[in-house]
Amino acid sequence: MEARSDSVLVNARDVKKEFRVGKIVVNALRGLDLTIYEGDFLAIVGPSGSGKTTLLNLIGALDTATGGVVEVFGNDLSRMGKRQRAELRLRSLGFVFQAYNLVPVLTARENVEFVLELQGEDGARRATATGTLSDLGLGELEDRRPNEMSGGQQQRVAVARAVASKPRLVLADEPTANLDSENGEMLLKMMRRLRDEHDMTFVFSTHDPLVVSYATRVVTLRDGKIVSDERKNSGEPAANAEGIADARN
Amino acid sequence: MRAPLIGKYAVRTLGRNVRRTFLSVVGIGVGVAIAVFMTAFMKGSTQMRVRAIAQSGFGHVMVAHSDWDVSRDNDLRLADWRAELKAVRAFDGVKVATPHARTTALLAFGTRVAGVEMLGVDPKSEVASSRLPLAVTEGRYLESGDSDVAVVGSTIVDRLDVELDDDLLVTVVDADGEMEYAMLRIVGIIDTGSKDMDGSICHVMLQDVERLTKLPGAGEISVTLDEPLKMDSIVPRLKEVVSPSDDVLTWMQVVPAQGGDYQSDKGFMNMLSGTVIIVVILGIAGAQLTAILERRREFAVLIALGMRSSQVVRLILFEAVALAVLGAALGLLLAWWPVHYTSTAGFNFSSVLGEELSMSGVLLEPIIYSVPGPWVFGHAFIIALVSTLIAAVYPAIYALRTDPTSALSLREA
Repeated sequence: MEARSDSVLVNARDVKKEFRVGKIVVNALRGLDLTIYEGDFLAIVGPSGSGKTTLLNLIGALDTATGGVVEVFGNDLSRMGKRQRAELRLRSLGFVFQAYNLVPVLTARENVEFVLELQGEDGARRATATGTLSDLGLGELEDRRPNEMSGGQQQRVAVARAVASKPRLVLADEPTANLDSENGEMLLKMMRRLRDEHDMTFVFSTHDPLVVSYATRVVTLRDGKIVSDERKNSGEPAANAEGIADARN
Repeated sequence: MRAPLIGKYAVRTLGRNVRRTFLSVVGIGVGVAIAVFMTAFMKGSTQMRVRAIAQSGFGHVMVAHSDWDVSRDNDLRLADWRAELKAVRAFDGVKVATPHARTTALLAFGTRVAGVEMLGVDPKSEVASSRLPLAVTEGRYLESGDSDVAVVGSTIVDRLDVELDDDLLVTVVDADGEMEYAMLRIVGIIDTGSKDMDGSICHVMLQDVERLTKLPGAGEISVTLDEPLKMDSIVPRLKEVVSPSDDVLTWMQVVPAQGGDYQSDKGFMNMLSGTVIIVVILGIAGAQLTAILERRREFAVLIALGMRSSQVVRLILFEAVALAVLGAALGLLLAWWPVHYTSTAGFNFSSVLGEELSMSGVLLEPIIYSVPGPWVFGHAFIIALVSTLIAAVYPAIYALRTDPTSALSLREA
């Protein structure tokens, strides 16, 4: 099995999530069970409206379930207040968004530094930010603002921002959707390296076959339920990753 | 320790929409400039009023019998005026103190008569205290050693059809209710430019009033202070050196009509400044709110990353402070010329007031000069800061309501 330890990071049991749109109730998640282990490189796939983003919101402590239990690092999120959930996100979770979402007026280094500042880090924050960017091969970008970088570069800086404080779990929402295959693959390789070298766990919400090819575990959602949960035997990217990348183009 | 990035973030944010920032800064600047100008002008107006009251013979403060404030009875006399005058003159912060005794008198020349409030003075200290002796246009002012002489206003001279060295018949009711008569020679004529004022001036020697009224002593001591702005702190201490039966009154108590005018002028100016600042606050709040709306995704991402509510508020307040600093600087720049002009050339009210520059027995000056000073910097920055911080409150609350899940929902770059 590809999971690198039996340590459970996320435990979701019978999770339900309802949204009200006017008088209509939409059941985004209908009693979902999922356990995420340390070291997972997990891709959540499924058609639009299947509940991928809703699940990511719940795991990321951005939202609360209307039924069931979501435990992250052993903490029941339904028992945590807004402030405690914010603290959990800040200290233990990393986020990568589809649209990069870097702060446009800050340079690459400052974007990374800013999250460290929010965490209360003072003296070492610049060194940590510079070190993280260098580790990820982004040293030459550190003084550039987002509008001076390509999409791929911005997304890699966004990953640097997400991992600078070495969170145990990184959640990525369609991270390759706006990237070409070359940049998408570069990003996935970078994330795999982070997972291998720093024991980070990655969870992706994605439609991208390339992400699926790099994943060690693929969970498929349909209509708010898990319809399959497959683990791959190989720790390496799928043998046909290159072909998939070509096919994306 | 490194400077917080949040400050850099806030300052650079102002550059995102230069036109909006420019308009916001102009709005704050105009508000600050108006408030600074009005305050400088109000200070000048107040100083002129206080100076005019003091130089019209009332002083900045007045020592009088404790019943005088209510009764305004000219027959009331100080308990021990010489001792009190000596103590007041020796008091730290007192520039000049001069004794007065007032009585109502009827002046007659031939068949013409005029009623006046005759003021008994000590010429030496009166000259140092009041500007009226300087307005003598014919003859001279009273001098030590004079007796049975008077200096009268030009309107009285016209009314009685008299001239210098004519003898006026003065009739006074004394303390026993008996009529007392005296002949006073006109040694000087005062022309202040105000017919009203010149129709009420009749200065005589203090001893002459004592003799005619059969009331020994002075009824009041007019006190001019070195620093009138410190009046409120001086009055309580001054009360300790006067007789227990006497009181120390401020100019607002002595000339209540002027005090009322001062309060209403101040209220009007404050209301005007307040209105301008409220309009500025609403304008900035609108601009800030639009800016927050445009950055909803950014706030959603920051909150998703774990930015606490206090940090979100701090970021928005930092932006407000940066706007305030720019607005205050522009406000000072805009206020510079009008304040400078009115502080040097002054604002001439004679076209509005005409020749009548006296009100309630106070000879006002026709030109008001603004009073700038280092205070304008603090004033400008405080107004700008308070306005922008108030204006930032609602946008900050709005930003805090941003749903972090929208960070994942808003997918378009």
